[in-house]
Amino acid sequence: MKKYKLLSLLVVLVLQLSVNSAWSGALDPFAGQKGTLKIAGGTAHIPVIKEAAKLIMTANPDIRITIAGGGSGVGIKQVGESIIDIGNSGRKPTEQEIGTYNLHPVKWGIDGVGVVVNPDNPVTALSTQQLQGIFAGTITSWKELGGKDRSINIYDRDAASGTRSVFWKKGLKKSEVSKKANVVVSNGAMKTAIANDPYGIGFVSVGHIDASVAPVSLDGVAPTLDNVKSGKYPVARGLYSCTKGEPSGLAALLFDFLHSPEGRKIVEEKGFISVE
Amino acid sequence: MGVLFQLAAYGCGLLTIAVLVMMFQLGRPLFVDGQFFSLLSQVWQPGQQLYGIYPMIIGSIRISFLALALSFPVSLGTAFLAAGLAPRPMQRWVLAMVRLMAGIPTVVYGFVAIFLLVPLVREHVSRGSGLNILTASLVLAVLIAPTMVVFFVNGLRGVDQSYCRATDALGATAVQRLLYLQLPQGWPTIVSGVIMGLGRAMGDTLVSLMVAGNSIGVPTSIVDSARTLTAHIALVIAADFASMEFASIFACGLVLYLFTMAVVIGLRMLVHLRTGSDR
Amino acid sequence: MRTLLEKSVPLLAWAGFTVLAGALAAILGYIVMRSWAVLHLSLLFGDVAPIDAIFLRHPVFDGLFPAVAGTFLLVLIAVLLAVPVGMAAGIYLAEYAGYRMKSCLSLLFDILAGLPSVVVGLAGFSLTILLHKVFPGKIGPCLLLSALALCFLILPYLIRTTQTALESVPLSLRQTAPALGATKLQNICKVLLPSKLTDILGGIILAVGRAAEDTAVIMLTGVVASAGIPRSLFEQFEALPFYIYYISSQYTNAEELQTGFGAAMLLLVLCGILFLLAFFTQQTLSRHFRR
Repeated sequence: MKKYKLLSLLVVLVLQLSVNSAWSGALDPFAGQKGTLKIAGGTAHIPVIKEAAKLIMTANPDIRITIAGGGSGVGIKQVGESIIDIGNSGRKPTEQEIGTYNLHPVKWGIDGVGVVVNPDNPVTALSTQQLQGIFAGTITSWKELGGKDRSINIYDRDAASGTRSVFWKKGLKKSEVSKKANVVVSNGAMKTAIANDPYGIGFVSVGHIDASVAPVSLDGVAPTLDNVKSGKYPVARGLYSCTKGEPSGLAALLFDFLHSPEGRKIVEEKGFISVE
Repeated sequence: MGVLFQLAAYGCGLLTIAVLVMMFQLGRPLFVDGQFFSLLSQVWQPGQQLYGIYPMIIGSIRISFLALALSFPVSLGTAFLAAGLAPRPMQRWVLAMVRLMAGIPTVVYGFVAIFLLVPLVREHVSRGSGLNILTASLVLAVLIAPTMVVFFVNGLRGVDQSYCRATDALGATAVQRLLYLQLPQGWPTIVSGVIMGLGRAMGDTLVSLMVAGNSIGVPTSIVDSARTLTAHIALVIAADFASMEFASIFACGLVLYLFTMAVVIGLRMLVHLRTGSDR
Repeated sequence: MRTLLEKSVPLLAWAGFTVLAGALAAILGYIVMRSWAVLHLSLLFGDVAPIDAIFLRHPVFDGLFPAVAGTFLLVLIAVLLAVPVGMAAGIYLAEYAGYRMKSCLSLLFDILAGLPSVVVGLAGFSLTILLHKVFPGKIGPCLLLSALALCFLILPYLIRTTQTALESVPLSLRQTAPALGATKLQNICKVLLPSKLTDILGGIILAVGRAAEDTAVIMLTGVVASAGIPRSLFEQFEALPFYIYYISSQYTNAEELQTGFGAAMLLLVLCGILFLLAFFTQQTLSRHFRR
């Protein structure tokens, strides 16, 4: 028992040391702070915010950061109604939203929205026209696209999704989406759904694309960070976090952190392009 | 002290009514000039200012009735075993198993279904995504079975012992006793069990949210993806409070509330029927 | 025709039972199989020492501890709120209410018991909005509101248990104390309730199980995917059933999914224990009663 205690103490010590030494600079402003930061909205943001929150709360246990999803629309509305402190949005808030709620969007990352299929699917490239056909429900079998003779299962997001609104505007060029589409609630859920469905197709934040899903190039351009960065891949968007009024207190500190070298490293590690 | 008891009881009663009032109040933007009824028959297309919940009503009805149809023979069969066909010690084990099933959390049913049942349905039945009415109904059928079995067993066992002895004395087999005595005598409780099962299937959120696919179209076959009223509430809850989308979930809530009232009143009438026939 | 029917009935019965038992075995077997590898302490505490986690000296990020603690607090508050109110209402129904009032109220409570939990959650969420309008910026979805909504969800069970327990006290016992000069209240508190304590306890345990497994209510009133352990009633929280739901739809890697199966196993065991406990409490009572 004694040995165990000693060991655990050691583990904690080592953990704290390693954390402190690596992040001490960027996390210094959080020292002595107290309070709760409620964050909700865009689901593409979650991995970055979660990692940042973990570091901040480890360095200073007096700070509590809660993270929920819901979609960009929800983030904007809830921060506007002062239900949460920071509303994440995967699209730029509209002038009207900014005006009504006195929102201050802060951009800390650039992302794209890529079409994804299951890794077992031989189809790896589509034209915009084919994409429109698939999502409208007029192309119904993978066979028509060079795949297996199985029906195409479309996965869609709900109306509050910023990822969806960007994809619909820039990827689908505002064409119709079939009502038969399955609806999932977040970028994470989209990825999981496509990873589990060999005949599914959906769209997900480029930062979320990993080995569990296969990216589909659109009109010959693959949805990669490089292509988003160079502007070759058209379905790109900024990642915003909004506060009601000028960011202050913990929210301002968090934004500063996301723009610091350490914060930007997290943004890049999670698959996005960081901004100064 | 008595006053406090009274206060608690009235408070709980008032709260139940308050829920109904609150649904009306918050869904009011949708109810002006008798729009409520047109909502029930409209499609859901927020882009075109259509906030109808018809697809969800159809989704809920299809899923819960299919679940009931799948679950009924299974539950009745199990109840037959527990109420007479199985040897005595086994009857207790069957009931214990049913109780254990009733204790499994809903979310666990959904969780297992996603990883075990959905791929099976996708590969061998529907050739679609596997997230559809059939899958949801299969899970719900298992979920509501314990409720139904308990009611069925109570109904079948509730028959007066003297009748049972009489049939036994006439040389009836256990099967004959079940079929010609216990089943006809216990039917009001059996119907109650069916109604309770339907209520549970209709009211369940997690299973349909997790495995029914949540599409907004009106389902036309059992391998179509569908959205239920309950899942719709869970999906749209986070929308803008001032929007019509948000108001529509109160229409869903209201439909579910009224459905519950219908179930409860239906059960009461059955009870009256039973006590009436005893006289 | 008749004999055919009579012959097919046992077939139906055994087939039905086999299907149900098979489903149960599949569910339990699958969960046990998939969660077996992660069933040790690090499932709860991640890489943080348990002692540090429990005394909140170090936040846990890779374990289920915050979710377990959240569920525990939630259920504790909900049950503490619901038990006194539910028992009081049950006592009123059984001992005080007149015939009309009784049938009117029990109709309402039956409706309450039948309400889908998502509707109860929606009511809790509406309350949040109303409160938010009254105190702008102060109140949002939080632990307290979730607990209130859950309390509302389990109230009818507690009311019904108390009522039926009291009503089943035999007349001989019921009349003894008043005959000796006890007041109605004394009779209820000192004789009637104690005689049915196990019955009521069984009902409370069932209510705890119901509160612990519910996902729909908390999903609408304040649970979030990542929050840590709540420090006040007005903070958001994590909970075990919501975690399971969350992981099922958006796990990012195999380890997360494994943790999800671990969480499912944990919740399953927790609810299983509660149900068995309730079952045995009531069983001992009914045996006692028969004697």
